Amino acid sequence: MKLLQALLWLSVIATALVQVLAVQWHRDLMQEWQQTDQLRQTLRQEYSRLVLEKSTLTAHGRIDAEARRRLNMKDPDHTQVFQE
Amino acid sequence: MKTEETTQVHGIQRWRFALVLLAFAALMGVIFARLIMLHTVEQSFLSWEGEKRSVRSETQYASRGMITDRYGQPLAVSTPVTNLWVNPRQVSDFDGLARVARELGYHPEKLVGDVTKAARQGRAFMYLKRQADPALTEKVMAHKVKGVHGEDDFRRFYPAAEVTAQTVGIVNIDGQGQEGVELAFDQYLHGKDGKRSIVQDASANVIKQLSVESVVEAGKDLQLTIDLRLQYLAYRELKAAVQTHNAKAGSAVMLDAKTGEILAMVSQPSYNPNNRASLKPAHMRNRVVTDLVEPGSTIKPFTVAAALESGKYTPDTVIDTSPGIIRVGWKNISDHRDYGLLDVTGVITKSSNVGTTLISRELGAQSMWEFLTSAGFGQSTMTGFPGEAVGQLPYPEEMKDVTLATVSYGYGLAVSPLQLAEAYTSFVDGCRKPAIMLLNQEGQDCVPVMSSESARQVLDMMETVVSAKGTGRRAAVEGYRVGGKTGTAHKVGRRGYEEDEYTAAFAGVAPLTDPELVLVVVVDQPQGKEYYGGEVAAPVFSRIMQQALRLRQVIPDKPAENQILHLAGRGQ
Repeated sequence: MKLLQALLWLSVIATALVQVLAVQWHRDLMQEWQQTDQLRQTLRQEYSRLVLEKSTLTAHGRIDAEARRRLNMKDPDHTQVFQE
Repeated sequence: MKTEETTQVHGIQRWRFALVLLAFAALMGVIFARLIMLHTVEQSFLSWEGEKRSVRSETQYASRGMITDRYGQPLAVSTPVTNLWVNPRQVSDFDGLARVARELGYHPEKLVGDVTKAARQGRAFMYLKRQADPALTEKVMAHKVKGVHGEDDFRRFYPAAEVTAQTVGIVNIDGQGQEGVELAFDQYLHGKDGKRSIVQDASANVIKQLSVESVVEAGKDLQLTIDLRLQYLAYRELKAAVQTHNAKAGSAVMLDAKTGEILAMVSQPSYNPNNRASLKPAHMRNRVVTDLVEPGSTIKPFTVAAALESGKYTPDTVIDTSPGIIRVGWKNISDHRDYGLLDVTGVITKSSNVGTTLISRELGAQSMWEFLTSAGFGQSTMTGFPGEAVGQLPYPEEMKDVTLATVSYGYGLAVSPLQLAEAYTSFVDGCRKPAIMLLNQEGQDCVPVMSSESARQVLDMMETVVSAKGTGRRAAVEGYRVGGKTGTAHKVGRRGYEEDEYTAAFAGVAPLTDPELVLVVVVDQPQGKEYYGGEVAAPVFSRIMQQALRLRQVIPDKPAENQILHLAGRGQ
């Protein structure tokens, strides 16, 4: 009887300690998650900024103007179009 | 003596000890009583008050899906921003708040005054700035003023700005679709906001997540059939034409002739959706879909197609249009001049009103109505675009002599530019392809309108319109065979048709050998000497088509007539 009581007491103390550990673990994970979430947000910001930048740089009007100005390209003359 | 003293001392000691003990016991009793009170009677109140200070119910905004063109070019992108807010009751550092105000461009004293007033009223929430960009947020947060917080949110950017403004539409500051595709597919794009309750510490870090009511679900991306390159050049050419002719408005729509996919859809005037301050409702209308116009002569190819389908006419059937004027009921219908004897092809080439009137009289109201209805006139285009106009076509019973005659050359019925373009897809294999706006969308089957022979014959007739003797010669495209029809309609004013207000239109198909594109250009109320469809809309058609065919790498199908001359000239 005495032994059982002692065992019960021990298990109560043990579970109480485990509970404390579990809470601490939860908080650590929580913090890690929050940091990762923050990182995700930052990456999203970066991504949408890059998407916008890319679409500005590759805008049809800009490519058209750059091709003419920098690369000296021009519309093909009718006689220059290769036809099978 | 000595014993007596001792007993006395003993007596006092014992009494004093008992008193102290009693006092401590009483204190203990009070503490116990208080503890019991706190744990039982006041427990619920206190724990609620405690939670109020640390537990927060939080909304996590879902990121809105991206809208892209058919090649994945972004047309609408959501980027994370921060809503800056302040809890007036937590603010004690007013110098810090003044610095924050200067960072945000507010008057420091005014903001401090507002915040103190709000604190006195007991308010715990006040927006400082909604949708601040990351750089600004960082600057504000660097001041570390107690009570100033940030909340994650999203802001919508439209990279193509005014070029796609009316098509893509716009969202309001709360991220709800207000116009265009943003409104039509709001649910799909929006996703689902998340809701959870969390425990925070004093500096607003999340310590514990108590419960999750709904998990945040990001919105899905949407891919339109629009080709941004074609959209861009259609916009540029239309805008130039509207400016040159000092017109009130304009619209252009380009369809893939084989699938009915909308490749470009532009309206003028336009607006910049990234700048909310400049919004004007009139500029936000997608005129291609929502505005009805009388098609004018652009409908004549259908009258002629109906004639060919009836079997009573061939392209060479001769019609006597002299003296260039005909009386129907109370109305005189006239041509520009007396064209005399015209074959059916000539009726299209010269755009003879008398010619189509005679044809429609021969065909009768019922068969005209049936043919136009199968071509989509008088119906909805069913793209699901908000504010989509339903066309108007009089019923056969309403088509008495006059109406029947006017319908045959494009008056007394109304179409949206999109509907007209959709109808023109019937000249490709004789089958009308319903317009679609989303890539990979299950398209409806095409609607048979006429035999492919009749379709081919009408295409050949429309080619004569852009030839040197036709009304739309300025729509010609170098290197390609194109066909189309000009249209000039008087606008309806308060007292019937206005004498000097016009809608100039051009609808056409290219390249004729194996049609790929259908383009409709409508210019509303051009001012000045030029107002005919052949003068105002046809050049726009030519310029857009020329560049579009080149961009899509369509092989030229028109042999150069003066190729040898060209080469000879080059050799010099």
